[in-house]
Amino acid sequence: MNPDTLNHWLDSCAAAPGMIGGGFRLSDGTCLVKNFNDRWSKEQLEMAVKLLAEGRGLYSNYGFDARWLTWTFAKGEIRVATRPDGLVLALAAEPDSLAAHDFNRLSEEFLAQDFAAG
Amino acid sequence: MDDERVFLEMVAELFSLWSKKTWQIHCVMSADQALEVLRTQKIDLVVVDVNMPVLDGLQLLRILNRRYPDIKKAVITALASEEKRADCLANGAELFIEKPRSADGLKSVFAMLNELIAWTPREGFHGVLRRVGLQDVIQMECLGRNSSVLEVHNTQVRGRIYIEDGRIVHAAVGNDTGEIAFQKLLALSSGEFHLQPFELPPQRTIDGQWEFLLMEAARVRDEVASNPPATAPDDELEKIISAPPEKEPPQILETLICSLQGATLYTANCPNFNSRVTLLRQITLQVEELDKALPLGDFERLELQLPDHHVIAQIKPDRMVFVRVAEEKVKNPKAGRK
Repeated sequence: MNPDTLNHWLDSCAAAPGMIGGGFRLSDGTCLVKNFNDRWSKEQLEMAVKLLAEGRGLYSNYGFDARWLTWTFAKGEIRVATRPDGLVLALAAEPDSLAAHDFNRLSEEFLAQDFAAG
Repeated sequence: MDDERVFLEMVAELFSLWSKKTWQIHCVMSADQALEVLRTQKIDLVVVDVNMPVLDGLQLLRILNRRYPDIKKAVITALASEEKRADCLANGAELFIEKPRSADGLKSVFAMLNELIAWTPREGFHGVLRRVGLQDVIQMECLGRNSSVLEVHNTQVRGRIYIEDGRIVHAAVGNDTGEIAFQKLLALSSGEFHLQPFELPPQRTIDGQWEFLLMEAARVRDEVASNPPATAPDDELEKIISAPPEKEPPQILETLICSLQGATLYTANCPNFNSRVTLLRQITLQVEELDKALPLGDFERLELQLPDHHVIAQIKPDRMVFVRVAEEKVKNPKAGRK
């Protein structure tokens, strides 16, 4: 994975109004996280990204090989998508915001993106 | 209030334990004792048994409704009937519950009463079940296999939803009937609703599963909420609801509703009940972990998008819900964002 490409792609996600933050969990277990406003700290987001990445395997055990998961809470929506190469994306947005409405497009883009390229 | 001392003592002990002693519980065995407590104490919720000697629960309800209209009232009875239920709701009860026969059942009753105490009215809505939302009332009616008519109205529209033996069989508002009428009524942002005794509908226009109907109505309401109308609200709603269908409606493949302890409340086409309950419990644990990491507020749902279907899981204070739906075949191109 090219860190610059990952960073650049994550920055592009901030454009959608209502996006709170997001991050990647790489296949080696390290995380790259960004918060786009002060609502949640980077540390909080990193912990959430790790939890979500670790928890995603649960569903495969029950036969649900999900393309992505959407967690909806009163104060935020979180999208988690996983690529075959092990890269996990988590995006957090305000509930029912434009950013949350953009989750599908961003997830499709994430799944198709070549993050190895510079 | 109940004339069974053993039941009263057990309920008082368990409810006190489950409420972590935040509830102060007064047990009485007659209506006059109940009225004495109400005269001397500040009471938030009265729970009465209908079948009482001398002054029965229904008579007490009438008195309470007149003297204490703001106190929430619930009826719990071992001998439930449709007629009794309608009488109690018409006389001010917010909840009518069948007396549980197990600890799990009692815990569900506690959760419902707790919810009733804590509930703040949905924005703009009030009605016979003032503290509970319209969707919740429909869900309760369907889960309880009840028959009733919900009258819903605001300053612009008036409509009715007919529920027969737990199935939504007809809805009408203005010139619309069927699912469109049902969605319109549930998408109203303000108004009033009243639960009325069942009467036969003039026609039967709805035959879908109530779970799907509620989910579809929630989708329409979300669409309305997330697309603030430039035109009049009703015009926007009309546009969303009546957009020409492009595909077939989604099909519910599997439904499971169970208590937090895993007791079945409702299942349909659920091939592996235990596995689903275990999954729901693990989701509960994940929600708890996430809650420690981020201040996300109340958990609403988890959706899993699979190639040909999607799964929705909900963990409520008193129940867990698992629904598997065939890939969304939406009537409206705006839908399907999740």
